Amino acid sequence: MGVRRRLVAAISGFGLLAGVVACGGDSDSGEASGGGTLTLWQYYGDPSSPTGKPLYDLIKKYDDAKPDVTVDVRFIPYDDFNRTLLQSAAAKELPDVALIGAFDTATMASAGIISDLGDRVGPWGQQDKYFKTSWATTQVEGKTYGIPHVADAYAVYYNKQLLQQAGVKPPTTWAEMEATAKKLTGQGRTGLAISGIEGPEGATVPIIRMLAAGASIDKVDTPEARSGLDQLTRMIKAGSISPGALTWNEEDAKNQFANGKAAMMINSATYVNILRKENPKLQWDVALLPKDKTGQTFLSAENLAIGATSKNPDGAWDLITWLQQPAELQAYLPVRNKLAARNDVPDASNDPVRKVFAQQLEEAWAPDEKLAPKSSEVMTHLQAALQASASGSASPEDALKTAQKAIDESLAK
Amino acid sequence: MAITVPQQRVLSSRAPIRRTTAAEYLFVVPAVLFVGFTVLYPLAYNVVQSFQKVGIAQIVNGNAKFVGLDNYADQLGRAEFWKSFGISLIYTGGTVLVTFVAGLALALFFHRDFPGRNVLRALLLLAWVLPTVVSANVWRWLLDGTYGLLNTVLGTEIFWLGKPGTAMAAVTLASAWSFAPFAMVLLLAGLQGISGTLYEAARIDGAGPWAQFRRITLPLLKPVSLTTVLLCFISTFKTFDTVFLMTQGGPGGATEVLPVYAYKLAFSFYKFDVAAVATTMLLVVPVVLSVFYFRSLRKEETA
Repeated sequence: MGVRRRLVAAISGFGLLAGVVACGGDSDSGEASGGGTLTLWQYYGDPSSPTGKPLYDLIKKYDDAKPDVTVDVRFIPYDDFNRTLLQSAAAKELPDVALIGAFDTATMASAGIISDLGDRVGPWGQQDKYFKTSWATTQVEGKTYGIPHVADAYAVYYNKQLLQQAGVKPPTTWAEMEATAKKLTGQGRTGLAISGIEGPEGATVPIIRMLAAGASIDKVDTPEARSGLDQLTRMIKAGSISPGALTWNEEDAKNQFANGKAAMMINSATYVNILRKENPKLQWDVALLPKDKTGQTFLSAENLAIGATSKNPDGAWDLITWLQQPAELQAYLPVRNKLAARNDVPDASNDPVRKVFAQQLEEAWAPDEKLAPKSSEVMTHLQAALQASASGSASPEDALKTAQKAIDESLAK
Repeated sequence: MAITVPQQRVLSSRAPIRRTTAAEYLFVVPAVLFVGFTVLYPLAYNVVQSFQKVGIAQIVNGNAKFVGLDNYADQLGRAEFWKSFGISLIYTGGTVLVTFVAGLALALFFHRDFPGRNVLRALLLLAWVLPTVVSANVWRWLLDGTYGLLNTVLGTEIFWLGKPGTAMAAVTLASAWSFAPFAMVLLLAGLQGISGTLYEAARIDGAGPWAQFRRITLPLLKPVSLTTVLLCFISTFKTFDTVFLMTQGGPGGATEVLPVYAYKLAFSFYKFDVAAVATTMLLVVPVVLSVFYFRSLRKEETA
């Protein structure tokens, strides 16, 4: 009896194991099928969201134009996007096309997650149409790893009514910004809303402010960077930037502005249509960023890249180049609230707000090739400096010393 | 002879000795496979990674090199790591304390009989059952500086999550709020195990409620209390979601507990190797505590 039972046990155990193995095999082979299917992953939004819908509509146009191809678009929220891409790379199940953050391009390229497009870009011959700052984000060691999809700039949104009441004009320098914001503060309102949340997202405004002072982003233990951080800290302590900014993302900052809780905000063009739609009564306009030594915006952009394990890179390239046609972009960009990354897309919308953003984009900053692979780290360190000095746990000087030490270490590796 | 016979009888009636056959092991195969694939493998993988150099390229292509104790030397010699470790201990200590006190108070309250007791007790458990995403966001909204309920009630305009001290207090309270009902259930079971005759005897001897609580309830509740504290400590020490959703470790790293620190290293900075050191340390502390706990438990049993 003992022997028979043991045999049964062994067979069943083996059966279970075989089942596990078979399951593993199934999921592998399932992915390879589907001849004319292209996968595209993006973090803009789902088809029902104002930031996601335009892309889905554009892809549908491509689908309709190419009856033999189906594009399967997958939305992955921004916070999970890079992690998901990384995990899929380890499992060799990358999408054919990935719409990635421009500053992440270098990281993804050096990790072998996205393919070198060098052989395709040459014959295509449209690289000169792209703005230099945008194109530079696709370059790693002389190779091209992506095609800029869109670009976005930051500018100052201001509440026309509130500025009029206070008798002030949109500020043109940062000294004016501090004075104007102070005048606009009071009656349960703050002068300026910014996002200063933990992590890279909260680094945008500190970077814009430091660039204005003439600082270099990899060298922040300098008088220039210090004057920038000093001023932001001063404005937060004076209440003309709400201390809540340290907990706000860009959407939170937008909500403050939309509800009249902040008279101005520094934000990207993403919110133009959303504000128009959700707060039709709000009277607002945009102005260029204040300018001291420079008036550079932080470039916010995405690049289209081909997944390294894509089984259909030709199809992926066809989709990418189709999406980048000026005629398609011309209709897509105003709806998506983004700006063209190339110079042959006339803006037919005749929208004065878009004109300001387009003008601001001409003076844009993006991390250089050395900084780009570590930009997420460096931005986190800069944001930590703002948090430390604004929450009072360190002086701006010490906060920047700490940040510099961390930045040096990040860049040394 | 007269002694051995009843002894045998007692033995056989208490623990019938049966031979375990191979087929019976079959029943544990699914459990073993499950634990092996979902717990042991990732755990071992993590520990192995802490001895390798693993960046984003190694995650994608494999072939990570072993670097011995380099990652440990890097982390254990780093002020940021110890700062985060300290923050973790403060957060965990605070949460366990509040959880235990609140849990015990609730347990004592629900130990009495009153109409609607069961309904109320079930409702309280909601806090424990509620997904953290929901509760953490509710806390975040309550504490919001502009629209938060707390500010409306107090008539203040304080950004509770924007200041180091209040942010730490907030995540501690939010965690304790969800753990307290769990502690209550455990402690209530302990309370119900204490014989009523002890209190009767104490009352006859003239002991007041405080003396009864201090001399009977607390000492007899000690084993359950230890278990409760240990379980709370373990689940708090590894809490990521509540803190990350409420503050993301901010402001200025004031609530950057070890799991958040490890998350940032791994998924923001792609330093998977040193992140693995941080998560391994995250494992070591509760394991050491558990060993002490089981030792003391065994001592109590043998005593």
